[in-house]
Amino acid sequence: MTGVNSTTGGPAGSPATGRIAYFHFATLAVYAFVAVLAALIVFGAFATPGFLSISNLSAILTSAAFVGVIAVGSTLIMLSGSLFSISLGTTTAITAILFMFLLHYGVVVAIAGTLLAGTAIFAVQGALVGLIGANPIIVTIGAGAIQEGIIGWLSPGDITPPPGANIEFLARTIFGLPFSVYVFLGLALVLDLCMRHTRFGLEIYLLGENQPAARAAGLPVALLTTAAFAVAGFCVAVTGVLVAGFAQNVNLQVAGTYTFDAIAAILVGGSAVTGGWGSVGRTVIGALIIATVTDMLLLVGASTGMQIFVKGLIVTMVVVLLHLSRRERRSP
Amino acid sequence: MPGTPLALEVRSVTKAFGPIVALSSVSFTLQRGEIHALVGHNGAGKSTLVKTLAGVVSPDQGEILVDGTPVTLTNARHAQAVGIAIVEQELSLVPALTVLENILLGRVGANFRSRADDRRQVQGLLTRLGLNDVRPDTMVEDLSMAERQLVEIARALSRNARILILDEPTATLGEREIERVFAGVRELASAGSSVIFVSHRLGEVLDLCSRVTVLRDGRMIASQPAAEMNRQSIVELMLGKVAERSAVERRDNKPREGLVVIDQLSVPGHVRDFGLRASGGEIIAIAGQVGSGTSEVLRALAGLMPDARGHVSIDGRPMRLGAPQRSIRAGAVFASNDRKSEGLFLHQSVARNLLATRLKTVCRGGVVNRSLSARLAQRLAGLIGFDRKRLGAAAETLSGGNQQKVFLGRCLEKESVTLLLFDEPTRGVDVGGRADIHDLIRHAASTGAGVIFASTELDEIVDLADTVVTMFAGRITRIARREDMTATDILAEMTHGEAKKAAA
Repeated sequence: MTGVNSTTGGPAGSPATGRIAYFHFATLAVYAFVAVLAALIVFGAFATPGFLSISNLSAILTSAAFVGVIAVGSTLIMLSGSLFSISLGTTTAITAILFMFLLHYGVVVAIAGTLLAGTAIFAVQGALVGLIGANPIIVTIGAGAIQEGIIGWLSPGDITPPPGANIEFLARTIFGLPFSVYVFLGLALVLDLCMRHTRFGLEIYLLGENQPAARAAGLPVALLTTAAFAVAGFCVAVTGVLVAGFAQNVNLQVAGTYTFDAIAAILVGGSAVTGGWGSVGRTVIGALIIATVTDMLLLVGASTGMQIFVKGLIVTMVVVLLHLSRRERRSP
Repeated sequence: MPGTPLALEVRSVTKAFGPIVALSSVSFTLQRGEIHALVGHNGAGKSTLVKTLAGVVSPDQGEILVDGTPVTLTNARHAQAVGIAIVEQELSLVPALTVLENILLGRVGANFRSRADDRRQVQGLLTRLGLNDVRPDTMVEDLSMAERQLVEIARALSRNARILILDEPTATLGEREIERVFAGVRELASAGSSVIFVSHRLGEVLDLCSRVTVLRDGRMIASQPAAEMNRQSIVELMLGKVAERSAVERRDNKPREGLVVIDQLSVPGHVRDFGLRASGGEIIAIAGQVGSGTSEVLRALAGLMPDARGHVSIDGRPMRLGAPQRSIRAGAVFASNDRKSEGLFLHQSVARNLLATRLKTVCRGGVVNRSLSARLAQRLAGLIGFDRKRLGAAAETLSGGNQQKVFLGRCLEKESVTLLLFDEPTRGVDVGGRADIHDLIRHAASTGAGVIFASTELDEIVDLADTVVTMFAGRITRIARREDMTATDILAEMTHGEAKKAAA
């Protein structure tokens, strides 16, 4: 899982001292997370009745999938050094609503149109951040408000699919797991490979690591930022489609706490908030941890407030721990 | 003036930072009412001495006496308590506050006197400094740079400073403004304050100061009345034996004439009317002190100064300024003087740093080809003399010299590159590394590219350049073949007193 740092040109596995020192932390961190995940599952298995049943494990994956798709896409924004979008949940809901509308023109048009719309909504925000250096948090808060305003204005209440729309496949189960889980894992795999092995991915890492250097070196900073946002927007729209297919009944609230959950998944995965370090794979682990914890809390009958409290606690602890260990690593 | 009590005496002060001796048994005296210049080339120890007097740096040995009494200056407040104040080149005034508010701001031990008393005192100080048309209620943002500098001095005086250290106070001022500041400083000295004037501008030093102390390599070389010195003699004292160094042998290459043409390049506030012709294979040094505009010339050519104006063409094709990607497309690559914040990707591997700007060449259909990239990284490592086994190490684990090699190596061996721009190519690099980097630059030039580098270091300019362009206060003072200029000439041009003479 240390693939982020796999060199583009270095002889594989060369025993360079610097490399070992650098990789040490990354490897440890990954092991630590895997250990936490394993401990949670073991603990959950014994302490929570019904946790280890197939149907429950499938439920964990399912709940990880919706947020996970958003999170793996948004990882690109964070890796590129533009923090994150605050309007992930809003755009998810909006693309879900749009999908329902577009179903009047057939499933193919609906999917294509929705993905295009999500990509475009985010690309515009990315262009603002990349071209004029606008603060990503502020841009995405503003964009979120604009989107909520427009939808609230145009369409009050719940939207259901038009009669005869054939979208059951979105909620279908294949080999015991819902369609959305395959989409999540497939997208995560593709994005992870892209980030490690394509010019686009490597340039995103470089940009996130040191923006002034990327600019001086002539990397297409605005284009890369726009593209990172566009990918995130695409993934958000994918979740929008999946949510619509799953819920059969959507409104502005359908994506609930998705914004926080997606950001939490990235942070718990351990990618650097400041960009340049981390990976899509880590976000997958983060999303699974969050989903597992949420599921266990549900099984023991914790209130919504309690669930949010625990998630907040985990995110805060991870961020503080990562910060401390990085600082330790840097001081002589 | 024997018999006059000394305001300040520095006795055999020594300060080392690790193996580097910044001050070696430096002694120095400042009389009451004296304006005393402190000059020296980069790294001579000026700023360490100033920091010692400011209480920022504690000396390893030696003592400091104020009015004949030994003092221990371990922090800035001690220095202030004994009456030493520093006015820095970077002003620390708050533009949105009035002169009065700025002067009262952060005053240590201020008691709650009436506002009227403060106002009267401040008005008195302003008048003393010749700021007759500045009222205590004037907003600082409405003042000229010279007036701000004088308000800064007034602030120091309001804290009962009797020894004022002016650190490059004129670097950002025009000539008339400089006169204004000087008039204020002279007024102060005649009223009994003592002034230490730190400057690179020897013309001003001779004009303003009554005595000149020269530092070189951490030692006090001379301390003489200004009347007995001229610019030439000061430069020779600053340089020592370097001044004797003769022209180096020149490589005889066939230059591609007019490869790069720069006309009327201007960057508001930094560079005015810069013009230059560079041939392929030629190494051009832009020599100037910090703040003279050398760095901005390179940054403008690299597309990193959005408000740069001028005509630049490379290989006959005009290049528009203002965007790094356009400059790179036109064939100009730039290496900043700050490899950490604007150069390397410190947590990424050396290989990735070397390939950062040419991922396109190692990709097939957007996907990085491992063997292509490995081969290219190895070739570049060989070129810059870097251990191939360490290509996977993170850039931050390398020494300064190796980091700089990697940074510059990124610019080399690119077919599309016709102009290399290096800003301070050996900053923070040890002696061995410097020689290697100089060889790299010569190698780059030998492949037919034009090289322009900016430097404040005479050794480097003398060693490396075919042509030397000296700059002072944003303007070119002279362009000459290296063999037509001695190190002394170069330094004299870099420290020019008046920019006007330069036009000739």
